[in-house]
Amino acid sequence: MACVYIPVQNSEEEVRVALDQLPRDAADILDILKAEQAPLDLWLIIAREYFKQGKVEQFRQILEEGSGPEIDDYYSDVRYERIAILNALGAYYSYLGKIETKQREKEEHFILATQYYNKASRIDMHEPSTWVGKGQLLLAKGDVEQAFAAFKIVLDGDRDNVPALLGQACVEFNRGRYSESLELYKRALIVHPSCPAAVRLGIGLCRYKLGQFDKARQAFARVLQLDPENAEALVALAITDLHTNEATGIRKGMEKMQRAFEIYPYCAMALNYLANHFFFTGQHFLVEQLTETALAVTNHGPTKAHSYYNLARSYHSKGDYEKAGLYYMASVKEINKPYEFIFPYYGLGQVQLKLGDLRSAQSNFDKVLEIYPDNCETLKALGHIYVQLGQTEKAQEFMRKATKIDPRDSQAFLELGELLISSDTGAALDAFKTARSLLKKGGQEVPIELLNNIGVLHFERGEFELAEQSFKEALGDGIWLPFVEGSEKFQEIDASASVVQYKDRQLFHRLEDSGRNVELPWNKVTPLFNLARLQEQLNNAETASILYRLILYKYPDYVDAYLRLAAIAKARNNVQLSIELVHDALKVNDKCPNALSMLGELELKNDDWVKAKETFRAASDATDGKDSYATLSLGNWNYFAAIRNEKRNPKLEATHLEKAKELYTRVLLQHPANLYAANGAGVVLAEKGHFDVSKDIFTQVQEAASGNIFVQMPDVWINLAHVYFAQGNFSLAVKMYQNCLRKFYYNTDSQILLYLARTYYEAEQWQDCKKTLLRAIHLAPSNYTLRFDAGVTLQKFSASTLQKTKKTADEVRSTIAELDNAVRLFTKPHLEAAIREEQQIRQRQEVARQVALAEEASRKAEEQRKFQLERRKQEDELKRVRQQEEHFQRIKEQWKSSTPGSKRRERSEIDDEEGGNSEKKKRKGGKRRKKDKSSKSRYETEEAEADMMDDQEDLEDEDANLNYREPTSQNDQDDAEENAHDPLAAAGLEDSDAEDDTAAPSSTTVRRRRAWSESDDDEPLERQPLSRENSPELRDSDEEVKDEGHRPNGLDAAEDED
Amino acid sequence: MKLAGLKSIENSHDESVWAATWVPATETRPALLMTGSLDETVKLWGSDELVLERTNTGHSLGVASVAAHPSGLIGASASLDSFVRVFDVDTNATIATLESPPSEVWQLRFNPEGSTLAVAGGGSASITLWDTATWSLVATLPIPRPEGPKPSDKSGSKKFVLSVAWSPDGRRLACGSMDGTISVFDVARAKFLHHLEGHFMPVRSLVYSPIEPRLLFSASDDAHVHMYDSEKKSLVGAMSGHASWVLSLDVSPDGQALATGSSDRTVRLWDLNMRAAVQTMSNHTDQVWGVAFRPPGGTGVRSGRLASVSDDKSISLYDYS
Repeated sequence: MACVYIPVQNSEEEVRVALDQLPRDAADILDILKAEQAPLDLWLIIAREYFKQGKVEQFRQILEEGSGPEIDDYYSDVRYERIAILNALGAYYSYLGKIETKQREKEEHFILATQYYNKASRIDMHEPSTWVGKGQLLLAKGDVEQAFAAFKIVLDGDRDNVPALLGQACVEFNRGRYSESLELYKRALIVHPSCPAAVRLGIGLCRYKLGQFDKARQAFARVLQLDPENAEALVALAITDLHTNEATGIRKGMEKMQRAFEIYPYCAMALNYLANHFFFTGQHFLVEQLTETALAVTNHGPTKAHSYYNLARSYHSKGDYEKAGLYYMASVKEINKPYEFIFPYYGLGQVQLKLGDLRSAQSNFDKVLEIYPDNCETLKALGHIYVQLGQTEKAQEFMRKATKIDPRDSQAFLELGELLISSDTGAALDAFKTARSLLKKGGQEVPIELLNNIGVLHFERGEFELAEQSFKEALGDGIWLPFVEGSEKFQEIDASASVVQYKDRQLFHRLEDSGRNVELPWNKVTPLFNLARLQEQLNNAETASILYRLILYKYPDYVDAYLRLAAIAKARNNVQLSIELVHDALKVNDKCPNALSMLGELELKNDDWVKAKETFRAASDATDGKDSYATLSLGNWNYFAAIRNEKRNPKLEATHLEKAKELYTRVLLQHPANLYAANGAGVVLAEKGHFDVSKDIFTQVQEAASGNIFVQMPDVWINLAHVYFAQGNFSLAVKMYQNCLRKFYYNTDSQILLYLARTYYEAEQWQDCKKTLLRAIHLAPSNYTLRFDAGVTLQKFSASTLQKTKKTADEVRSTIAELDNAVRLFTKPHLEAAIREEQQIRQRQEVARQVALAEEASRKAEEQRKFQLERRKQEDELKRVRQQEEHFQRIKEQWKSSTPGSKRRERSEIDDEEGGNSEKKKRKGGKRRKKDKSSKSRYETEEAEADMMDDQEDLEDEDANLNYREPTSQNDQDDAEENAHDPLAAAGLEDSDAEDDTAAPSSTTVRRRRAWSESDDDEPLERQPLSRENSPELRDSDEEVKDEGHRPNGLDAAEDED
Repeated sequence: MKLAGLKSIENSHDESVWAATWVPATETRPALLMTGSLDETVKLWGSDELVLERTNTGHSLGVASVAAHPSGLIGASASLDSFVRVFDVDTNATIATLESPPSEVWQLRFNPEGSTLAVAGGGSASITLWDTATWSLVATLPIPRPEGPKPSDKSGSKKFVLSVAWSPDGRRLACGSMDGTISVFDVARAKFLHHLEGHFMPVRSLVYSPIEPRLLFSASDDAHVHMYDSEKKSLVGAMSGHASWVLSLDVSPDGQALATGSSDRTVRLWDLNMRAAVQTMSNHTDQVWGVAFRPPGGTGVRSGRLASVSDDKSISLYDYS
């Protein structure tokens, strides 16, 4: 047991004081010390002993007594001990000041400490320990440079002064000069190998700062060996453990942290780390407690920043963004240089993003990025912000960078893909595919949405097999699979029931009854719908219809499925069923503009004009007139009406045309890139005879449409051909018609063949004309108009042959045979007419007359033949032929005059028969087509239009009859058109034209095309829905589904047009 | 089952080839392929090499349909001018010329016994039956008019009869119309039985299964092929896959496969058990107007043959196995 002996004054005796049994009252011992005038070093020893025992009050009492003026008097010659006592007090107050958190008390402590040191210096200003003390004090006050000077004084005198070495090491450490600091610590250790463990702590910290983690660990471990209770070493070691980033390391680290906490509960660092740990374990209550303590015990900025950060994170994860934001702010405020501690900026950015403060969030993320320019998360966050700010290109740039930096970040690729959908589907697809393969590689489940989007993109690019694979992958196994794969057999139904087959959902009831599980999870509805769309595309309408019905069986409110079924029915000409299905859709939503538009088309197809117009109006109203499709439909309606009434009421025609133009123009104003509206406008212009302008428009529309594989606009080809025809450019017209037939109709459209024949006729290519008409008849044998036209052609051909000055007997013979055929052909309409009702009597009479004339002609021809055979004079023949022609002309004349008078109904029938020949009709027909197409952009409704057109064409045909217009008159018209040019441009079309014109010639098309493809809602290809869908946040499933639905529909639309 | 291309003849005719049928083998020669074209000729082709045996002229306005008597001795061809020419296959001697009013002739088919020639009556909305011994008109089977509230004035053209088919037992006749309806007749009683509904677009080709007498296949412009039980009036199956009109179809002699020709320029082979397309031939460059399986029989020719003809003026021959 350690004890000290206080010599008794004036004797040899000593008072023995056991150091572990110091009296509680320091006054007792003070009395002895004073009474015996004990040496001052004893005072110090005893005071120190009190201090060690934690009896700070007694310690202070003794030292204060031992440094009082009395002592100075008494022990004036004992300089060292007096200094030692003063220095001890100075060190004590320095310490108090250092740990004191309240500013005022802190100051007071430091003042006291300074006073003691100054007093010591007055005794001996060269005493090194005083300088060391002063240095420590300055360090504690944060006055690093002065501290440096103080220690330097000592070290200059004695370069091995351990305390000074340590002090200086500390100074260097604080100045960030870790290697110098390390040298000093090392020297101290060499000089004084048994120095306290804390010295090694310094070494460890220096090493740590220098990045020598292993050596740092060794140093910390050594500290703990020497002093197992050293909390700082424990914390340091724990931190290095934590930084190993391995589960065991982290666990060990946390154990050490905990022990440090148990040893010394007020170490802010340990508290922060513990809080951090509990944050990750989700014990937010502990996080808050620990952090609050940490905040209370430290003034150290970075540590506080860390604490605030912990708190903020805790609130952040609990979803309390307001509070989290405040604490992140507090944390950020504690940070002088962002590079020291960047996390709170990131957190703040996140919270601001969440709270919608995009600009602030952006600036915070920018700060993070300055320090970590390659941080993927930050890049992604910024990309996301730019998307929301509408700066797509910047967003893409960031996303691309993120994917480049971390080519294994599936999320980044996913987001990049979403960004690219609107601009570059190919790149978007690549990004999605990369995301998919990354997810697969990582063993993660690939989200259905992703697979769906990949499928849609493939679909849009025409890669149907890949699309199918992707949709199937998205769907997985289910009741749909046997239907798609065709293993589920078609169920026999009554033939009369087959008429409404697409409404039948009994199939699934039966399946359920037979124990099959008919399930369709909500998140698979969209891919299933798309798969069905794909099946339609692949011409598997039957499979598609079953899938749509499955959707409706489970989700009877899915409007798009009704509409698709209606479209399939319509494509098969089952108009009644189609209408019923549309009505089903309207039962779900009677304001659905798509359903209304489609209904309108169907009503037009049924020749229900008034109803159709009302329906289109309703569709337009349902979208506040913003639905281009409805507007276009109304425009078409007016156009058709104008054409229909053409001959009967010029005023009405003009009104309708004007109205149509106005409607097309309105759409163009809203969507300058709407192909269909432009086409419609072109048609109206052509109708007014402005062929050059309309040709320009059609050419541009054609170019734009051909730049996009999803938009198919055969109408514009036909319109162009009509214009060429009208301008007398027959060879170009022929080419255009032929290409259109082949490209869009598989050569099955007899109407276009009729246009083609008409062109040949005008070009006097009789054989081509005949063959073309025969082909048309072969395709549409019940269209007697075609037969009549063929007859006319044959006759005309005969006439022209017979008119030739030189001809062979063979020629004449074959000509006569042709005339016979002509007669037979003419007979047909006659018989046909007879079969018809009385209303057609008039018509029939005309036909009969014609037939009679034709027969007469043929009789004459026969006579001619005789003449020929007898080698009679040719002049006679010629005369007769001419007569024939005149007759025929007369017939035509008569026909013309008679038709207009007849009633509309009649006319339409008549037209059917006669239609082919009139140019006017044809042209109009074409135009109509144009219009029709314009409206098609949306659903299949478009198809409806096409059909409509056909009907209308028929109507037109009625009027057209046999009026062959003279080429000359056409030319005149053309001239007139040219004159009209400018006013025209000024009138309606400026938008589109102007745009195009101003563009540099070379870039025009490109630009335009882009413009088209970007164009809004009307375009079938809209991507917006897609991107919406893709967005990572879960949207309402319904919405999603619909969007997707639209897209494919859009696609269809394009196709359906043909 | 599969098809393998054997031979293609480009420009077999000067114009679109619109019709094709096989003339069964006789004791003296193997089966011949008979084709009809817009160029107003009928041609006969022999052997797997498709050697041109004869070119028959005499039609005007394009040959729309050809038919061969089951004996293989007699052929018939019909053109757009409504004449049916009946001729001796081996000599091209005209046996008869059947004249009908304009546009009242379309497809032709001999009945399995060879006693009757059925002619789709086009605009007459009926089938006409001709006795093959006397070449006189035996009967006219009219399609009943729909008893709708207002008989549409267009119904005449809508009921235009395009196609005709005999059941393998010869007791039933089916015909397809422009409006998509199929009508079934009892031949013996010359009586209309019922309609088969489901199509709403022209039915250009009909054929009965050779092994199931009730099973009728129809090809329509709606791009679908329907399978009906023609007695039960039920739709047994619907097959989609063509991208455009289905213009013609034929069932293989074994009754296992169906071939279709379409405006989409393809010939498809369908497995009737799976009811799925098993093969698509895309060698034609324009509409395929006719497909025909060669009937079995003849000297030593076992292997199946399918011929297709197209608007592209070509004929293709395939091995079917």
